[in-house]
Amino acid sequence: MDRRTFFKKSIATSLTVGSYLTFGKYDELFAYKPTPFDLVAIKGGEPDIMFDKGIEALGGMRTFVKKGQKVVVKPNIGWDVSPERAGNTNPKLVSRIIKHCFDAGAKEVYVVDHTCDEWQRCYINSGIERAVKDAGGNIAPGGSESYYHDVKIPHGKTLTSAKEHELIISADVFINVPILKNHSGANLTIAMKNLMGNVWDRKYWHRNDLHQCIADFATFRKPDLNIVDAYNVMKSNGPRGVSVEDVVTMKAQLISTDIVAVDTAAAKLFGMEPEDILYIKIAAEMKVGRMDLDKLNIKRITV
Amino acid sequence: MSWFKLEKLKKIRVIVSLFFFIPISILFIDPRNNIPSSVTNIFVSLQVIPSLTKIFVYSGTATIGLIIVVGLTIAFGRVYCSTLCPLGTFQDIIIHIKKKIDRKKRFEYIKSPFFFHYSLLAAIIIFTVGGSLTLLNLLEPFSNYGRILTNTIEPITTFINNIIAGILGRYQYYYFYNIPLRDIGTSILISAFVFLGLLVYMSYYHGRLFCNSLCPAGALLGLISRFAFFKIIINKIACNDCGACEKVCKANCIESETKRIDFSACVGCFNCIKSCPTDGIIYSAARIKIPVKDSSEFNPTRRKFFKEMATPVIGLTLPGLANIDSAAVKSGYDANKKHPVTPPGSRSIQHFSNLCTACHLCVSTCPTQVLYPSFLDYGLAGIFQPKMNYDASYCNYECTVCSQICPSGAILPVDVEKKKLVQIGKSIFVKDDCVVVAKKKDCAACSEHCPTKAVYMVPYEGKLKIPEQNNDICIGCGACEHACPTTPRKAIYVSPNRVHLQAQKPKVQKQEKGFDSKQDFPF
Repeated sequence: MDRRTFFKKSIATSLTVGSYLTFGKYDELFAYKPTPFDLVAIKGGEPDIMFDKGIEALGGMRTFVKKGQKVVVKPNIGWDVSPERAGNTNPKLVSRIIKHCFDAGAKEVYVVDHTCDEWQRCYINSGIERAVKDAGGNIAPGGSESYYHDVKIPHGKTLTSAKEHELIISADVFINVPILKNHSGANLTIAMKNLMGNVWDRKYWHRNDLHQCIADFATFRKPDLNIVDAYNVMKSNGPRGVSVEDVVTMKAQLISTDIVAVDTAAAKLFGMEPEDILYIKIAAEMKVGRMDLDKLNIKRITV
Repeated sequence: MSWFKLEKLKKIRVIVSLFFFIPISILFIDPRNNIPSSVTNIFVSLQVIPSLTKIFVYSGTATIGLIIVVGLTIAFGRVYCSTLCPLGTFQDIIIHIKKKIDRKKRFEYIKSPFFFHYSLLAAIIIFTVGGSLTLLNLLEPFSNYGRILTNTIEPITTFINNIIAGILGRYQYYYFYNIPLRDIGTSILISAFVFLGLLVYMSYYHGRLFCNSLCPAGALLGLISRFAFFKIIINKIACNDCGACEKVCKANCIESETKRIDFSACVGCFNCIKSCPTDGIIYSAARIKIPVKDSSEFNPTRRKFFKEMATPVIGLTLPGLANIDSAAVKSGYDANKKHPVTPPGSRSIQHFSNLCTACHLCVSTCPTQVLYPSFLDYGLAGIFQPKMNYDASYCNYECTVCSQICPSGAILPVDVEKKKLVQIGKSIFVKDDCVVVAKKKDCAACSEHCPTKAVYMVPYEGKLKIPEQNNDICIGCGACEHACPTTPRKAIYVSPNRVHLQAQKPKVQKQEKGFDSKQDFPF
């Protein structure tokens, strides 16, 4: 298989998978057990311990990762800041997720992000590169356009195509691990906004209605699992933050297969009305997921 | 000295030269920049011209480096030219290749163009002190070597790296990763090739002619080396008049007929000692006065060459004295933008432009590729000097690499916490071009990227928010300009501070507690 056919095939596969997911034939495609809860909310523990408890409530990582599969974990590694600044996903959490993937039989686990600051400095100073290597995963480069390939977004209104990272295109399982943060442009950055790091050209989004583009891209390939890190939360000056004074410790975590539900719950946790976050509203209207938390089956865990 | 055979000197010289040549070359051509700043510093501090400019503004490794070089020259002559100077070793490689191609062709004594060389040195000093680095930057050996590697070889090594990265990437092996090719201006590329062509021509046909006619470092060290303690001299008793030494002298400084050596032109390669079948050439501490006869063969080709060289060089340099204000105004939408932004640590455009020898080490090493070689943005006086290019990238808030490695003192060392408060420019917001105004949609890419939140969002129409600036805390890093998505021109850009200023510390406000894990979930 040469490079071209590899990408053609992987794009075709992901499109098929994407459309299946969009049409809700999720269970049929992967024969996954339906998760017992729509959303799991955990509080009061360290990031890794909270994840242990949360994933257990969803039937363990085996619910999502099958033996021999290729997993891509997408944390937020956008900025060249140290872990306590909460600009990037907690490295302890990333490390624990990778461990669970391997325990579930994953063949390989990759971690990648299209960072904002210079990618190597972000990978190193966020502590994530070390965490990934220690957990036996691979951290892959995302700082060059050559890694990104055209994908069509059939359900997008404004964003109808993008260039997505090849690892994410070819992943069997895609796990989205955002950190909850204040954001000057999008109000909050959580799970849907984190997917902006999957693509190469973000300026197009900024130029052409950021909120609509965020929602559009969420229709493309919904992550198999969304894990929101709300252990340390940047309450102001996001998404980069100016100092540790921007950060409060919430010791919380949210896990869901529904990217809209998890963003809705995270917005509430942050102290904002989800309706005020335009992209959450648009995504719910586009039927990407549900905002009606009161009708969802939520598991609440205190560690 | 029976324990030491003099003919070993050549071998030692070759080994020492490679010991410096290879790492210095790697500094410029390694696209991954693996060599740490501290090591870089040691190697570049031994470069005589950059260190000489640096000691006027900063004392550090450069001072030690310069003392070592001067000390070496006083003791042993211009051994610098054959060991520490990467351009010298580069010429030696060409001369070596030439020897393989054309075995018959041999060097012969030519009187060194003393008058031309030292007039040129005087001109360089006058121009440099007067604020124009045109001549110095065109002729300085280390900087020329750096420019050649950065602009012609590094793109090739990057390309090769990317081919390897592409192949291994198919198997999801990412030790090698793709590195975006740096944008290189055509003028820079052409200049690098012109110099390279000239150098190859000169060294192929005339040996170390560059070092004895154009090189300012060669001229300076030549002044010292004539008083050197150890000198190469011909032992008239042992000499059998075979002339072998003259034939191998690439500096053309041995006149075997009269048994005379012009030691100020000798680059210390020791090939003559190796070639001598007897003990006719010695490297002696004895200060034997050799009468200098001023009779030499008239060489029409060489004279013609210098005449032809001199005209364009002088012509090119005269306008170099012009003030930086006459720098070509780029077709921009604001006259403020005509000046280049200089990196943190460079103090002012004037400081930078007066000291930068344009070696492009910072360009080659900058991890974000924000440093970009300009051609005439600083005027002819600052030819080839780098500037911040916010189209390509922006200055990383936590990074001070360029200031740590700059060999010439144009960018002075600045520690990270101080660097975060150096204001190299200020952001200018063009409201009408902003996405929020033009399209009535949220964007905030500028504010997102701003490390100090000098650009922040305030309510606009409805729920929209629009950027506003507090330039007291802006450092001019260019993150906003780089991130701004508007085309064809940016709605926010950095206007340079001609003299760098001190920014205020970013505002820090302790956030009151948010969700507490003892509370119930708010959903």
